[in-house]
Amino acid sequence: MSEPIECCDPDELVRVKRRLERERAARREAETVSERGLRRLYAREQELLLLQDIATAANLSQSVRDVFQYALTRICDFLGWPLGHAYEVVSRDGEVRLRSMTLWHARDGATRAFRDATELREFAPGEGLPGRTLASGEPKWLTAVADREDFLRRSEARECVLSTACAFPVQIGEEVVAVFEFFSERALQPNQSLLSLLPQVGLHLGRAIERQRAEDRLIHDASHDPLTGLPNRSLFLERLNQSIAHARRKVDAQFAVLFIDLDRFKVVNDSLGHLAGDRLITQVAGRLTGALRREDMVARPDAALPDSSTLARLGGDEFTILLTDINDPSDAVRVANRVEDALRQPFAIDGQEVYTSASIGIASSASGYESADAILRDADLAMYRAKALGKARWELFDREMHQAAMKRLALETDLRHALQNGEFVLHYQPIVSLRTGEVAGFEALVRWQKPDGELVPPGGFIETMEDTGLIVFLGVWVLREACRAVCVLQEAMPGGQAPSISVNVSPRQFAQPDLAGQIRTVVAEAGIDPRSLRLEITESAMIGDMGRVAAVLRELQELGVRVSIDDFGTGYSSLSYLHSLPLDALKIDRSFVSAIARNGESLQIVRTIMSLAHNLGMDVIAEGPEDAKQVAQLRSIGCEFGQGYYFSRPVDLSAAIAFLARAQSPSEALR
Amino acid sequence: MKGIIFNVLEEVVVAHHGEAVWDDLLDAAGSNGVYTSLGSYPDDHMMRLVKAASDALGMPPAEVVRWFGRQAMPRFAERYPEFFTAYTSMRPFVLALNTIIHPEVRKLYTGALCPDFDFEEGEDGALLIGYRSPRKLCALAHGFIEGAADYYRQQVEVEHLECMHRGDPRCLMRMTVH
Repeated sequence: MSEPIECCDPDELVRVKRRLERERAARREAETVSERGLRRLYAREQELLLLQDIATAANLSQSVRDVFQYALTRICDFLGWPLGHAYEVVSRDGEVRLRSMTLWHARDGATRAFRDATELREFAPGEGLPGRTLASGEPKWLTAVADREDFLRRSEARECVLSTACAFPVQIGEEVVAVFEFFSERALQPNQSLLSLLPQVGLHLGRAIERQRAEDRLIHDASHDPLTGLPNRSLFLERLNQSIAHARRKVDAQFAVLFIDLDRFKVVNDSLGHLAGDRLITQVAGRLTGALRREDMVARPDAALPDSSTLARLGGDEFTILLTDINDPSDAVRVANRVEDALRQPFAIDGQEVYTSASIGIASSASGYESADAILRDADLAMYRAKALGKARWELFDREMHQAAMKRLALETDLRHALQNGEFVLHYQPIVSLRTGEVAGFEALVRWQKPDGELVPPGGFIETMEDTGLIVFLGVWVLREACRAVCVLQEAMPGGQAPSISVNVSPRQFAQPDLAGQIRTVVAEAGIDPRSLRLEITESAMIGDMGRVAAVLRELQELGVRVSIDDFGTGYSSLSYLHSLPLDALKIDRSFVSAIARNGESLQIVRTIMSLAHNLGMDVIAEGPEDAKQVAQLRSIGCEFGQGYYFSRPVDLSAAIAFLARAQSPSEALR
Repeated sequence: MKGIIFNVLEEVVVAHHGEAVWDDLLDAAGSNGVYTSLGSYPDDHMMRLVKAASDALGMPPAEVVRWFGRQAMPRFAERYPEFFTAYTSMRPFVLALNTIIHPEVRKLYTGALCPDFDFEEGEDGALLIGYRSPRKLCALAHGFIEGAADYYRQQVEVEHLECMHRGDPRCLMRMTVH
């Protein structure tokens, strides 16, 4: 080692050594550059991995809490920091606060005091580290937290030896929905790459909340009525089923269902329009909610409310209330009274005062229900009873009501069969001229000839048919059958003027959109003179849309079919509107006719009706004269026609033909 | 073993004994001496260099390793100050090895096989440090601890209670900071 040096130039040696130093320095620099690059690459890789893991968790996990817990642990691992925590943004009375979600990643129990202090308080926007993160929507980095005036938990941080803190917002778009904060015991300077990474993590985490919100909204929408925001039928049934199950386990867990139907809602809808109807429903929902609010009890201790209640809108103008943990059905009655009270004041709809009331049916668990459908059905039945008994009232469901309902249901089924099997027959009662004794026509009256031979009069089934809508089918059958009878009468009386046949048209039938068209078809099919068909329509069927009533009647007039007004004097309507309608005849109700012999007032009423009818060019038919005295009186005041037992009870077609033949022989006339 | 260790070894040897001695050690160990900080080289190279140094300096291999560890520490502090300045004394520095310092080293040198230590509180404020590694470089750890104490200007005493070189399943050192 010593000899080569001697043979070299000492200057040369110095130069070689300098070159060597240069090379060594260059290598060190190259290594440093590579190290820095590798380190950056590694850090970037780790950041991407973090983002990817958080995004995956946010997309896959079922609950926000699970995602957040995972993120806290993952971020603490990434940072190598021992403590992480999540706040949620809560809104109370319009004020926004950050509240601990009690979700932590904590490496050990050493930070207990700090965690307790955190969970015990809330942060307003701008307050403390989380509050400033919330207010700015930007990540924050704090050093030496134990000594900072603006770090509110500094004494606990000192106790737990925390030095550096960092927080970032969890966001949906611009909205901050949560804040994450992390702590280290080490003194660390702000890490810019971290401060730009964490908001991206926050956006991924925001998606978990966004998804949760969307899910909540779907669930809410599926179980709530969009107009009023109240629970809908499905949610109501769910709660009701819970109550039934609860009552099964615990005998004294009583509950009740109130079925509420608004009175006259259809009138509002029809007259003011559907938008107004919707507004009324919304306002009613508000008042019902108010009626169930417990705070009101302070002022009204007598009207104590049960512990909990569910108000739902089933649809249309139907609401239901489920009352749980009641002591007695009378609790439900008290609530029903509150509901009635709540609706008493008028509603302001589109600048108009609108009044409504409710018919309320109550069914209580005291009757021992097994299914939600059953209790709801019974409450519904009780509501119908309340409606039938005059509206704006409540009715408690009882056994008899149930039995009546069952009977009605059975009748409905039988009537459907009867229609299919052709079990109906028409009987005919003559309408006789009081002046000449001639038969002017017959009124066709429907009878139900049951398979067992029993003949049921209309009182036993018409109401049910009207309620179920079967009346429309029966009405068409009656029309056809009556037209057929007109043909038979004409054949039986060749050459003579065949009498007309009157057919009753029910309110429901009259409301059919193309009544005149239907009748035109039936008349044409039978090939009869339309003038030989008369329709009898009650006053009550003609109230409502007067424009439509007049139009239908004019159509019938053009068709040649004549129309009588039936049961006159019993309905609400006054005589004043009669003059505007094309009516041919007026039938005075039997209640007046039967009273004229004993009661001068009734006679006066009949006289008045007659003079009015004559002024309007209408014939008058007196219904129900039963003896010669009544007939004589009617005749004396100028009544043209009578229809009653005095002449004949309703009889089948062949008997009607026989009656007609007898009446035409002079000896039979004018008995 | 990572090239950085060989680089620091070279620095230490050259600083104390001159460049010629480093050349001799390389010759004796049969190594060409090409070590770059980011590269990985067989552990055997280090063992042969230690053996050569032991022969040349007349020191047992464990003493050579311990001496190197102690001398290496200030150079690491120079290259990677952030690992050292985050702490103000020995004890937290040693306790951060597993959780902070070694993970950072692994970020820098992918594939670096840093050991994990077990820590236990000993009597009179001593720290019991357990070490397990197939390399059995407890002497290096011992030297690093002494070097760190030098850096933090503290007096430290390290006692080998158990040692893999004496047939124990692990090494156990008691560190007492004065």
